[in-house]
Amino acid sequence: MKILREFVSRFGASISLNKNLLAKKENRYFLLNEKLKKLVGKNFFYAGVYLGKVKNGKFFPSFNLLSMMAEKRANKIFVDKRSEWLFICGRDIFKQGIIRVIGSKRKGDYALILNDYGECLGFGKILRNLDKIVEGVAIKNISDLGDFLRREKHQF
Amino acid sequence: MSGKEFFVNRYEMLGWKYEEVALKPAIRINSMNAKEEEVVKRLQSLGVKLEKIPFLEKGYRVSHSEFSVGATTEYLLGYYSIQEAASQIPATLFTDLKDKIVLDACAAPGSKTVQLADLMKNTGAIIALDVKLHRLNALSNQLERCHVKNAIVYNLDARQASKLEMKFDCILLDVPCSGNFSTDKEWFNRRTIRDVEENARRQKEILREAAKVLKDDGEIVYSTCSLEPEENELNIDWAVKNLGFHVEKINCYGEPSPTKIFGKTLDSQIENCRRIWPGKTQGFFVCKLKKDVWV
Repeated sequence: MKILREFVSRFGASISLNKNLLAKKENRYFLLNEKLKKLVGKNFFYAGVYLGKVKNGKFFPSFNLLSMMAEKRANKIFVDKRSEWLFICGRDIFKQGIIRVIGSKRKGDYALILNDYGECLGFGKILRNLDKIVEGVAIKNISDLGDFLRREKHQF
Repeated sequence: MSGKEFFVNRYEMLGWKYEEVALKPAIRINSMNAKEEEVVKRLQSLGVKLEKIPFLEKGYRVSHSEFSVGATTEYLLGYYSIQEAASQIPATLFTDLKDKIVLDACAAPGSKTVQLADLMKNTGAIIALDVKLHRLNALSNQLERCHVKNAIVYNLDARQASKLEMKFDCILLDVPCSGNFSTDKEWFNRRTIRDVEENARRQKEILREAAKVLKDDGEIVYSTCSLEPEENELNIDWAVKNLGFHVEKINCYGEPSPTKIFGKTLDSQIENCRRIWPGKTQGFFVCKLKKDVWV
């Protein structure tokens, strides 16, 4: 699945998924295991691990996929407690909130955002070269875990 | 036939005196995603006061929190689910879930589906059904948030489960029901005996379909959050007499169900069901069924 591979590569990462275990339902992609592969019917709504969806030619990753990427080599930005909270509330990240960076610090690259525990909170786009700034907005929030709550609000 | 007096009189005939209840929220730790003691420690460090629920393995009551426990990083990472204490019981009653093929016949919004996955340690497969398409989004969100990997979800009425052409080791029938006053302040104003009878009729249809898709040595756990016998003991009595089930003994919170209800004597096995009157938890009913084996 080219669009997924391209998305992952924007984080300086790569991921190997068994093609035979990938399932597509309309614009959504899922990763099955051997057992589910045998059982799944064509009218399923959701199956196995949700990987993400394609909308208007753009890939929107699931948090499962981001967690899988976080276990491997990828651009990662670790943030402090306060920034963690602000990030899952949908806010951008200030340079002062960054504790540690693994991988690219270059403007325009994507990075996974992790908290102090190394848990993946979502991802963002590096707005300014991280080597060159000391303060101000550094990472634009693209997707964060708080999305689960925002989805709930839209449903009910 | 409706109103508070009508229903409260019925509860008294079943041996329970009506009382107001104030429920505290409860959570269940998803041990497939995090260690229980670490999650508890992290929540406590945020100022959340938790009390272990004595009759549940991974359940805690939230006795104090300055914020919603549904808005923490730990919740969003799927380390725990918000799930009322009594509703944490049914999934724990299956003998063995590991590597099994399990049907969650009325699955949305999915807290029990996640619990099944947790108990199964993401092995085997859960086939989760719900008849309402819009509720499947809530279910899918729960599965994604809690990193469930072994579920397949279909938009399908539990009464049509045989369309899947599968047989199941375990079936969870947490059936749509009339609910009860402890979780719905307007319950007495909204509900009539007609609703109860209509739900009971639909529940029988679900039980009949489940009997078709259960393996001969399989198990069904049936539960409702209704206090009305038509949806509980009377339905199970009907299933024993018409579908070839027997009621297994279970060891869980709650009291044995009565076998004499509104002048009707039920099969003696009905006392193996558990009725939970509102108090420490919401009102609930649960039992485990197996097919009779003829040698």
